[in-house]
Amino acid sequence: MNEISTEDRIAMRQSFARLLEDQAGDQALRETMASPHGFDENLWKAMAEMGLLGLIIDSEYGGVGGDAQLLEDLMEEAGAHLLCSPFISTAVLAASLISASSDESLKAELLSSICDGTKIFAIAATDESGLWTDQGISIRGSKNGDIWTLEGTASFVLHAEKADQLLVFAHTDEGTRVFLVDSKTEAVEVQKLQTNDPALRLSKVIFSAANAQPIAGVDVTAIGTAIDLAKVAQAGEQAGGAKKIFDITVEYLRTRYQFGRQIGSFQALKHIAADMLIEVESAASAARHAAKMMATGSPEAKTFVSLAAFACADAYRDVSAQAIQLHGGIAYTWEHPAHLYWRRARTGLWLFGSSDQHREEYLTCLEAA
Amino acid sequence: MVSNAAAISDSELTAEVEAWLDEHWDDKNRREKGTDHLDLKSWLGKLVDAGYSVPTWSQDWFGRGYSGKQARLIDDILKSRNVVGRSQDRYNLGAVTVYRLGSEQLKSELLRDMLTGSQSCLLYSEPNAGSDLAGVRTKAEWTAGPDGGEYVINGQKVWTSNAKEATYGMLLARTDWDVPKHGGISFFIFPMKQDGVDIRPINQITGESEFNEIFIENARAPARNIVGELNGGWKVLQTALAYERLIMGEGATERRGKQKSSVPPLVELAKKHGKIDDPVIRQKIAQATAYRQLNSLNMKRAKDEIVKNGSSSLMSLGKLAMSRIQHYEAQVAAEILGPASLFDGEEFKDSADMNFDSAKAYMNSIGGGSDQIQRNIISERILGLPREIEVDRNMPFRDVKSG
Repeated sequence: MNEISTEDRIAMRQSFARLLEDQAGDQALRETMASPHGFDENLWKAMAEMGLLGLIIDSEYGGVGGDAQLLEDLMEEAGAHLLCSPFISTAVLAASLISASSDESLKAELLSSICDGTKIFAIAATDESGLWTDQGISIRGSKNGDIWTLEGTASFVLHAEKADQLLVFAHTDEGTRVFLVDSKTEAVEVQKLQTNDPALRLSKVIFSAANAQPIAGVDVTAIGTAIDLAKVAQAGEQAGGAKKIFDITVEYLRTRYQFGRQIGSFQALKHIAADMLIEVESAASAARHAAKMMATGSPEAKTFVSLAAFACADAYRDVSAQAIQLHGGIAYTWEHPAHLYWRRARTGLWLFGSSDQHREEYLTCLEAA
Repeated sequence: MVSNAAAISDSELTAEVEAWLDEHWDDKNRREKGTDHLDLKSWLGKLVDAGYSVPTWSQDWFGRGYSGKQARLIDDILKSRNVVGRSQDRYNLGAVTVYRLGSEQLKSELLRDMLTGSQSCLLYSEPNAGSDLAGVRTKAEWTAGPDGGEYVINGQKVWTSNAKEATYGMLLARTDWDVPKHGGISFFIFPMKQDGVDIRPINQITGESEFNEIFIENARAPARNIVGELNGGWKVLQTALAYERLIMGEGATERRGKQKSSVPPLVELAKKHGKIDDPVIRQKIAQATAYRQLNSLNMKRAKDEIVKNGSSSLMSLGKLAMSRIQHYEAQVAAEILGPASLFDGEEFKDSADMNFDSAKAYMNSIGGGSDQIQRNIISERILGLPREIEVDRNMPFRDVKSG
């Protein structure tokens, strides 16, 4: 990883924020959500130009060479602006998995196509159980001569419809492996799933003797690291989203008058706001600390990634839910943004594992310490 | 030699403090070198004169004008060497109040005594003025005499810890009954060792008696012992309370530091009582541990922000967060113990501990400003939300209803 100065990090976050304000404000965001593929290709290109898609990719492959801390920092901004994009599947999960490969020519080809925004990757990591663990893989990879084929079903696949290629987790006689699969073949059937969060694009993907290329050198450890990085990215997104909807809510408590006074003067409401602040700040602390532990290769990284995974998901759920309640009727309308944060928060409760799973993993890590 | 704050490097400071301690302090026996027991007053005098007890204070008043970071460096060294009397600029509430807000005369009269073992206690709350502290009814009436005269004090105070040991009481008393409540209060340094001060211990729900009721009848305080302005006591109190909350919030990280193993105590308890494989219990243990861990991370961020910017709004979240931590930990412990929670006493140590902790948790969530008062403070001072309307705010105090 390259050394990135604090100044560069701040500058990068600021220009990302400006980009999102300019190109992904409320109206643009709603258009993107309603679009068939759920992301804005112009914004994606602009993100590529800013180096965001190669954030965690080594500079030798055209990336920025940033670490988990830089990723978390920028994801707070993405969360605050409700970014809709295949960022986590392409620029985090795929980037991390491919970077772990020992196949240099494959890395050179694929990583540069992530950096410049020309290819979108979807990750088929879990089956319909939605576990995101090795037990949650029900795709079987088998080898006939030099040819690998995949059989089985994956679900909760992010942005599969638009993806150029799929990275598929499969069980094989050699253990769990990751395969590269062309998504536009007959042997791969992508079924779009309707979702509660209009920003979310999920599919079920069925592989029927689909030809697949194993990615050399990517094992369960690399898979674990990639998923952990995705958890940190999502934790940052949740911390940023929780902070933003909280700020919007506090501003409303200050400016809305009922009974001749600002509603924020009622203890019934301001006490809820005080409790929400603890959640908002705890989420930021948890996400940032997990990122730092990952970036520094701490032996406690797994502990703190698990903590951030449930603490941030739960905080976002609670803060965004209370935000609607504190706003009252205005937030019961589709036009108001509160429900978009609330839906996004509910999404995050299940991607990359549930809060109950993360709590169990957190305790297991503590017991082993 | 007193070093200049800006001029001295961290390593120079460390070397200086270590060398001074090598010369004067016996780590192992926790006493001054060359003595056979700890003479607290003499030792504290030495530490204070060296400038290590209140390093952030000015050089005029036993300090060195050091930064918070430098002070923490000294604190770490003193702590690691078992030194008595460290960081009084953070922990000695009476001395901090006099230093920050007292007159020059009061400082020269009291500070050294307060820093060298004369303790102080708080005389704030009254039976009818708890959360609504500005409603105090203890009366202070001026009588003429030399040196500005003195005040005759009558009233009742409650929830005072350390009252029997204390030389000084930080007393909130009403000096004007004809103005609205916040404007008629003065803050006194009140001599505790005098006739007319009756101290009675309170029996608490934990079975302990840390606190007392204080009955004050025709006791005296010199007029020059008023901290801040006459009738300006409310403002002084706010500063004193802010320090108190800071200390309570920091308790979280301090206590954690004492824990030997990184395995949470609830895990040990669950193992011992055969509940460690219960998935519901496991979820709750993880959540309880997470609450504590998250608060530690918040407090760490707060400290980093203080070092960087001089202040942090995160600091004031600690006390409120601690209430949830303590109540929830005790609740989870009770669920681990199950029906054995009904037992108590020597024979049932785990139950007794849990029962004690579940009662003790109220100490944090009521004492030093209840959780509800904390939520007012957080929402008003950090979030900028308006105060709830108070019906007695602009009324002369003698017309305010009480009961």
